[in-house]
Amino acid sequence: MKKNDKNEKPDRQEKATDLRDPKYYFNRELSWMQFDERILEEARDPSLPLFERLKFLSITASNLDEFFMIRIASLKDMKNAGYKKPDISGMTPKMRLNALSEVTHEFVSEQYSTFSRMLLPKLMEEGIRFVKHHEELSEDEKDFVDSYFRENVYPVLTPMAVDSSRPFPLVRNKTLNIGALVRTEENDIEFAMVQVPSVLPRIIELPKRTDGIRSVILLEEIIERNLGGLFLSYNVICAHPFRVMRNADFTIDEDEADDLLIEIEKQLKKRQRGVAIRLECESGIDKRLLTILEEALNVKDNDLYFINGPLDLTFLMKMYGLPGFGHLKEKPYEPRYPKYMEQDVPIFDQIKDHDILLWHPYESFTPVVRFIQEAARDKDTLAIKQTLYRVSGDSPIIKALAQAAENGKQVTVLVELKARFDEENNILWAKMLEKAGCHVIYGLKGLKTHSKITLVVRREEDGLRRYVHLGTGNYNDSTAKQYTDIGFLTCAEPYGEDATAVFNMLSGYSEPAMWNKLSLAPLWLKDRFLYLIGRETEHALNGREARIVAKINSLCDIDIIEALYKASNAGVKIELIIRGICCLRTGIKGVSENITVRSIVGTYLEHARIFWFLNEGKEELYCASADWMPRNLERRVEILFPIETPKLTEDLKHILNIQLSDNTKARLLTDDGKYIRITPGRNEVIGAQKTFMKEAQAAAASMDEKKNERVFVVEEAQTDNDEEVLRI
Amino acid sequence: MKKLFAAIDVGSYELCMKIFEFGGKAGIREIDCIRHRIDIGNDTFHDHMISRDKMDELCEILKGFRRAMETYRCLDYLAYGTSAFREIENTGAVLDQIERRTGIRISVLSNSEQRFLEYKGAALKSGFEKYIQTGTAFVDIGGGSSQITLFDVGHLVTTVNLHIGTLRIRTKLRDMEPVYSDFETIIGEMVMNELDYFKELYLGDIKVDNIIIIDDYMSAIMETYGKRPEGHITSREYKDTMKALSVKSPYQIAAKLHIPEDNAAMLLPSAILVDRIINMTGAKDLYLPGVSLSDGIAYDYAHRKKYIRPLHDFGDDILSSAANTAAKYGSFDLITSKLTDASLIIFDATKKLHGMGSRERTLLNIASIMRNVGKYVSLSVPAETSYAIIKDSEIMGISHKERIMIATIVASSYPNNISYDFFRSAEFDQKDEIIMTKLTAILRVAVGLAMNTEKTMKDITAHIKDKKLIIKVTSKDRLLLEKGLFSQRTDTFEEVFGVTPVLIALRSDK
Repeated sequence: MKKNDKNEKPDRQEKATDLRDPKYYFNRELSWMQFDERILEEARDPSLPLFERLKFLSITASNLDEFFMIRIASLKDMKNAGYKKPDISGMTPKMRLNALSEVTHEFVSEQYSTFSRMLLPKLMEEGIRFVKHHEELSEDEKDFVDSYFRENVYPVLTPMAVDSSRPFPLVRNKTLNIGALVRTEENDIEFAMVQVPSVLPRIIELPKRTDGIRSVILLEEIIERNLGGLFLSYNVICAHPFRVMRNADFTIDEDEADDLLIEIEKQLKKRQRGVAIRLECESGIDKRLLTILEEALNVKDNDLYFINGPLDLTFLMKMYGLPGFGHLKEKPYEPRYPKYMEQDVPIFDQIKDHDILLWHPYESFTPVVRFIQEAARDKDTLAIKQTLYRVSGDSPIIKALAQAAENGKQVTVLVELKARFDEENNILWAKMLEKAGCHVIYGLKGLKTHSKITLVVRREEDGLRRYVHLGTGNYNDSTAKQYTDIGFLTCAEPYGEDATAVFNMLSGYSEPAMWNKLSLAPLWLKDRFLYLIGRETEHALNGREARIVAKINSLCDIDIIEALYKASNAGVKIELIIRGICCLRTGIKGVSENITVRSIVGTYLEHARIFWFLNEGKEELYCASADWMPRNLERRVEILFPIETPKLTEDLKHILNIQLSDNTKARLLTDDGKYIRITPGRNEVIGAQKTFMKEAQAAAASMDEKKNERVFVVEEAQTDNDEEVLRI
Repeated sequence: MKKLFAAIDVGSYELCMKIFEFGGKAGIREIDCIRHRIDIGNDTFHDHMISRDKMDELCEILKGFRRAMETYRCLDYLAYGTSAFREIENTGAVLDQIERRTGIRISVLSNSEQRFLEYKGAALKSGFEKYIQTGTAFVDIGGGSSQITLFDVGHLVTTVNLHIGTLRIRTKLRDMEPVYSDFETIIGEMVMNELDYFKELYLGDIKVDNIIIIDDYMSAIMETYGKRPEGHITSREYKDTMKALSVKSPYQIAAKLHIPEDNAAMLLPSAILVDRIINMTGAKDLYLPGVSLSDGIAYDYAHRKKYIRPLHDFGDDILSSAANTAAKYGSFDLITSKLTDASLIIFDATKKLHGMGSRERTLLNIASIMRNVGKYVSLSVPAETSYAIIKDSEIMGISHKERIMIATIVASSYPNNISYDFFRSAEFDQKDEIIMTKLTAILRVAVGLAMNTEKTMKDITAHIKDKKLIIKVTSKDRLLLEKGLFSQRTDTFEEVFGVTPVLIALRSDK
């Protein structure tokens, strides 16, 4: 590592180089697409089990949908509003849209070549036939699908024909539809459509053939085959599936709405009618039909995607769930009970005894649920306070909170109504919790509450004690099995005091005069990060070894990147593990020579945020709910918390070190902005996620062993006279 | 199980509730602090009433406080209103409405009561007693005014209320709309106008080494010194910070000190006031114990309930405060001393008769100390002038009502000046009337014993025998005048207690 001479003037370099120059930054959307490309690479990786590859391809599809609804929509808004300000990479909204149109079209074509050329033949090899067109069905199969249509599909269909007297029907966002041209008895050609019902399974398995091959067909093919029956007095000329993506990125004008809840409910209804930003049609669609769709939906050529295969590949996730095919999937991993916990000891006793670090999903999320459940039942618990951002469908946490309120505990729940795509779900929970007697709060105006924190206040023999859980991931027992996240349980007073202050603040009270341990966005979190990076820079400038390791999901905040560039110039060794977007460029002389960026895409979604600052050997380790993005640092309530217990800081360092040495699932960002896969070469093969699974298994096994080793000693009869015993 | 208590401070621009836990080694432990900014002062300082919207907001916040109290299962609470509430015209109706809507009963503190509680909060800190052994200015900065109390050799010397507070200065500044760079000069001049009087009239020869600061916003300055546990910084360090801050806008200060911008705007007036006090006194050390009124409320409560043992004698401070005020009017002399001794001896000897407690004894003590302050203004109408002076003097540790009670007792202690109508006023209830009557009766008898500075008196004793209060006094002088006029001063005592005071003068050669 480069070390500067103490007497060297550090400013010289900075003056010469404008570290905010756009040429030192990647565009954020293009970087997002690179992440999707890395996932697509997984789908194309022949070394992976076939069904895992299907899953990855499905993820690329849902990610692309999200990308359109959020980023493309927002860019289109900017363009329409005449907004021309360039981003940190110097690109105007128009430039970005043009570049992205090219990238996304290419990406979609890559997705479908993966599906058709790589995965379908592989499926066939494994005895799974994917019927692309209903015309390929055998007579028996035709009978089967027709009867399936009559019994299951027909009753839920609402076919719509459009003539000049009727308005074009609402095509709901992200729904799959079949558009058709029909000829009337008067020989007029009209547009007709039917929505492929989302309440029915998209993928239908056909009766097993005698040769043992299992076949599947998509619902839209079954409908298409039976379309004539839907428009009885018409003659169907052609029929093709299509799908519309609409603008979903709305901002809530809180000043205009007294009641946030009502405003969000209104927005939800509005969203369906958002502007169309992408139209997907089957390749070979009838030109007349296409023209009608383009005009009715007001879609430009750039936003048109001809799909050479089934639309909306997210059905592959359902295919992954088809019974059987275990041999084509990764061996399922069951999260282990955390190494710092015991199943049969009350959770509060354990936290009182020692701070606990949880590493999900390698370690089970159950203790976090237990934490709330035990508090709900516990006679000494006075209050439970929790922030909820995204919760699972049948959340045991929600149930426990409601139970606690019914048991007379004071339960305060901050439900974040603005959690993107989860608004409807969250409104539902909020109402349910209120009914159960919880005090439900909806956070601060204009700020999303993204922090994950729970506080349990107990009245114990020696006084009031506060138990705190802080996490990097949501209180969602379902995603906790798929996302990697850190959880921390403690009853140390400084954390308890801060947690109390967090909830006071979220309830609308003033921020405290000072924080003990936590740093909060949007107040001072960015400053805190800049300070921590700046401190390493100072150490390097003073000739001392300096190092930063950060594991995050996205990096696109210009102030943070600039600080990292300065640190790199000063000689700080910076190793970043960034799952998704990264606007920082590596390897630029005089800017970022000392920075490396790697990205890990694995079975689990990398989600934990961990920060490690060498600080002259007085190492500091932190976890956070926030990424290094402006929205996290400036427009959300986020929490950064230090982990100070030596054993636990070692654990965090171990996690980072293993991730840094991953040579199977990690990609390195090269100087020319590409991500290249790291290969083990002659070194030991290390896959971070696999390693963590093995370690958690081993720790759990060793705990089980210890339990089994316990020898039960028969208690001897006690005597009142100790002296007598001694004499004997 | 430890006990939990809530202290609520209904301030001019903020509501604050702190939850405390009493018991165990820590004595008092702060559990939670909930603050909500609400500018009640703006309404009451101008219109002397609270607007409907503010009232609704205030009640909502208090309901939230109530919920938090229930969460912690608090055993008890005390809620106090301060300057904003003192300005309200229809206080009773407002307080009643708040209680009905929120279930929280607010009492209004006089300025001196409020300052005394804040001072009590500070005295709880271990550093306090050490500082006041040498000359120390205790500066309590509030929204509308600030209190400077001087200590020396462990005792309170004097206390004075200055008409400069953060909110007041900020409001004036807003009217002037100066540029940020002129803030320091303008605030400095405002502050010095008041401080010059303080220096001239109160500071005298006291050498101030330390300044103890009570302020809601200055803790941020301590933060820049890395949260020193004892809250101590040197004047030099403080001045360096001030130099850096004085050229910054509130936004820049907020960013530098990591505090909300509102707090930054309030910080500057406080910081400049302290800076000028440093210049004026040459103090070397500053101590910011970081306590607020809520801490004082809790400390006072815990003290009264005997949950904690006080580190400092506060009763002594009240008397010191009274004595210093008396001294300022040239009336803290031998007569005062004799009068105080005599009245307290009579009080103690007649405990069974009057049934009053230590608080009433303190009131009598203060009345004795301050009885003659009016003579500084007029020898012909000392009752009226004493009454006026006492009524408007700052005496730390007693309430506004208690101060009026003392003034009334003093005025009634002069010959031919007693009228039971004095004791009847809207401010007093029947219990107060009885206390005043009893204390006046005792003070009048005591005055009869302490009429002359020349005469020596010692071994005053008193006891009750056969419906008589026998007061024995030993003196080498002949107490002719005292004996002659004694009967003129016992009428009230006889009326009130049904006992006749009798003076027995014993001669001694020494």
